[in-house]
Amino acid sequence: MENRETRLISGKGQYADDLDFPGMAHLVFVGSPHAHAVIKRLEVDKALKVPGVLTVITGQEMVKYTNPLPVQANFKSKGWTWRLAHVYAMPKDKVRWYGEPVAAVVAEDEKTARKAADLVEVEYEPLAVTGNALEALEPDAPKLYDDWEDNKQVHLKFDFGEPETAFEEADQVMHIKTREGRVTGLPIEGRGCVANYNLKKDTLEMWGSFQTPYLARHNIAATLGMPEVKVKINAVDIGGAFGLKIHAWKENVVALASKLTGRHVKWFEPQKDFIVTGPHQRDVFWEGDVAFKNDGTLLGVKATVTHDLGVESTNKGIAALSIFPACSAVPNMYRWKGMHIEGVGAATNKSFYCAYRGYGKDKGIKFIEHALNQIARKLGMTPEAIRLKNYIQPDEFPYHQINSYVYDSGDYPGTLKKALDMANVDEVRAKKEQYLKEGKYIGVGVISAIEPAGVAVPNCQMGGITQARVQITADGTIEVHSDRTEIGQGSEASHAIIVSNILGCNREDVLVKPVTSDYIGQGPLSSRGAVYPASAVAKAAKILKKKVSQCAAAFLKVDEASLVMEGGLIFSSNNPDEKLTYKELAEKSYFFPGPRGLPPEILKNHDHLLDVTTTWYSPTTPDSGSSYTSFCTSADVAVVEVDIDTGATKIIKYAHVHDAGTIIDKQIVDGQIHGGIVQGIGEALSERLDYNEKGQLMTSSFSTYLIPTAVEAPDIEVAHLETPSPFTETGSKGMGEAPIIGSKAVILAAIEDALTPFNIEVNESPATPERVRSWIVAARKEQEESK
Amino acid sequence: MKMPVTLNINNTTWNLDIDANATLLEVLRNNVLNQQSVHRSCEEGECGACTVLMDGKPVNSCLVMAASAQGSTIITSEGLMRGDELHPLMKAFVDELGLQCGFCTPGMVMSAYALINQWEDEELSDMDIRKAIEGNLCRCTGYVNIVNSIRRAKQAKDAGNWW
Ligand code: FES
Ligand code: FES
Repeated sequence: MENRETRLISGKGQYADDLDFPGMAHLVFVGSPHAHAVIKRLEVDKALKVPGVLTVITGQEMVKYTNPLPVQANFKSKGWTWRLAHVYAMPKDKVRWYGEPVAAVVAEDEKTARKAADLVEVEYEPLAVTGNALEALEPDAPKLYDDWEDNKQVHLKFDFGEPETAFEEADQVMHIKTREGRVTGLPIEGRGCVANYNLKKDTLEMWGSFQTPYLARHNIAATLGMPEVKVKINAVDIGGAFGLKIHAWKENVVALASKLTGRHVKWFEPQKDFIVTGPHQRDVFWEGDVAFKNDGTLLGVKATVTHDLGVESTNKGIAALSIFPACSAVPNMYRWKGMHIEGVGAATNKSFYCAYRGYGKDKGIKFIEHALNQIARKLGMTPEAIRLKNYIQPDEFPYHQINSYVYDSGDYPGTLKKALDMANVDEVRAKKEQYLKEGKYIGVGVISAIEPAGVAVPNCQMGGITQARVQITADGTIEVHSDRTEIGQGSEASHAIIVSNILGCNREDVLVKPVTSDYIGQGPLSSRGAVYPASAVAKAAKILKKKVSQCAAAFLKVDEASLVMEGGLIFSSNNPDEKLTYKELAEKSYFFPGPRGLPPEILKNHDHLLDVTTTWYSPTTPDSGSSYTSFCTSADVAVVEVDIDTGATKIIKYAHVHDAGTIIDKQIVDGQIHGGIVQGIGEALSERLDYNEKGQLMTSSFSTYLIPTAVEAPDIEVAHLETPSPFTETGSKGMGEAPIIGSKAVILAAIEDALTPFNIEVNESPATPERVRSWIVAARKEQEESK
Repeated sequence: MKMPVTLNINNTTWNLDIDANATLLEVLRNNVLNQQSVHRSCEEGECGACTVLMDGKPVNSCLVMAASAQGSTIITSEGLMRGDELHPLMKAFVDELGLQCGFCTPGMVMSAYALINQWEDEELSDMDIRKAIEGNLCRCTGYVNIVNSIRRAKQAKDAGNWW
């Protein structure tokens, strides 16, 4: 069968924008120009009079025909602050962020819908704007939600290990503050879907860029007040997702539009809307103390991370959920005595928060890696020395980290040492003096990270359980189903490799089906792909293999133990000349399994159908409460040159060593690494969602929200270690996030090293040229003054 | 307002009746021409997902008014195929995994095709490649495998495997 890449490159992709049905209508949203305002009047008459307009949906209709958006995560019970907002997919009386949709125009074609959208008249009464998390937490800050006491949505407090003892035993304590700007994942394709409500059957079917169809079905059904069984969600080819397409929000309006018009209704989001009203991430302030000994032994942390969550509107609780990994990732790969970490989330008048590659793990690790570099510098150690001193050692696995994570396996020192070698760090450092004399500011950054992967958490929709089905059809071709949508991360190829390796069938005979809501699971988020769905598929294939060998042994009249399955053939090692192809096996099993074909025991047990559906759940999570099952390891070393006149950073060398356990396909893994690293570089150097004082987003296009181009992105050298995970079916670990975690931190660390002569702590991102320049100017001024 | 326009698209001449204010992107993607490889993203000439060749030069079709393309020759990535056979450049993208989600890919392929076609020198550096695709944003690959794909395609052309 034609592989996916060949299909896509020959123009046979079926992305959301390619969806086309007879009689399909088109939907366009009208967004608010205000960040916070009361809707005084909303007039749709002029829009409705445009020929070709079918209907206009506003917040009034949402309240009339739908339920408020369902709760997706709720941790109220734990004695923490956890607030949720009672909101609909579109608001009736108040807007809370710039771009928030207030109306949706449905017309015969998109152009007409756009034209009519301009004629929707809205009168607003602007309200005071809450512009950032720190402002939002001030006592007199304008409130976003009337029924909340204040804007604090979340406050979580964690004690890991023995924080007090850690600080008592410390020789020194260092105060650390860092700040990360607001970013978005920004796939090149926006969101889009088509909804078809069938009036006769009272069913709803949707096709689109759904990263998690099973969850989308649950949430859309709940919003529309339909039984889940009457809703089906189909993922089509998805033009990148990175977490940004896991929720279902505007999609509810599209579904309602289909229900009200009885037509197929399509919505394809302009890229600008995806930035303005899409999920945002990061935007955190860290502040705290790190305790350590004079020899560099790490002891403890007491810190608070404050998140700017934007509005609490579209995927209730899931945004706030990302505060958990931010807090829990702080221990990273080191031994500690104890920590006290608090995670605060404030609601502000900005677009909502949701998943983007990293989902908080990146934040905790970036903070602690930054702290380690400061401590090393203070103690006169190299960044690698302090890490090597504190690593959990290869013989300590499985390792129960102080935060309840159970680390599966790894060689942390080996990973780092390899990366240092690749980047020739000693050589670069030896030349630093010389470079400085030439006026060149060269710096080396060193970062290492774990990637907690494959999430399962109670009290929320990320419960974990995942289903897979592998079926040998009657002609011997094999179909595979799971929740793992293909978002460009190689789901289809990986599943096909796993199944063909286990069954010994030909890879071309395996077809991994597009994901629908028919199979349970929360999809490929939090690097779950190689953990949950891959394990579920592997488990199903292993059970299937047993059936294949049972049936084949009976047909071939040989001992089951002697069976060999390879190259699409099944035979006994005692008699290799008598073979069965998968086609022959399938035909016999399905159509001619009668008494003389298969032994009575197989028939009586109904074991003969070559079709297995099973589920998989982490072996460690139930007992330990570890919300992640596998922990990929990475080390990043970057060499940069900073132009102190322009503030621009050039990446001269980038080395990444990666240990994701058993590698399913190296090309895919490398591709994920390259992509993640470059996204991290964008975050470190140029990407920023900037709101003005009125709460309007100023960076809402590719020319202002600057993702790296091919010229800015560096060459990347990648090497692998393979320490299998004992906790997954394939030995593979979840991967895909480590590269962004490491890269955004390592670039800042390298800039800091390059600017050593100015003694600048690089604790704010992005390090744009203007910002770097301002640091240098300020440092020079300070140096002058102290003279 | 409708107006007639003649375009040669992938070696077929079309006499079309188009909206006077339609972009080339809209016309190529419409039900008649159905060139779905031409992708729509920013519609502001910033991402390159809609890149096609117009008279041999890569253009962002979202910025070109279809009416102004009167009489021109357009090639989309579908037009590089020979029947079901992938163009050697596309084959290089598949072999080097120069695509992940595939959304930027057709546009990327057209910019790369224009580069290699007009490149006379033996030597094609990675920076030459990177500069040629600077206007084609990719969020998945970090460009590494794209550069590898294009380098491999140049070798294919040098070996006479090209059309
Ligand atoms: S859609 Fe034409 S350049 Fe982005
Ligand atoms: S492959 Fe996804 S944007 Fe390039």
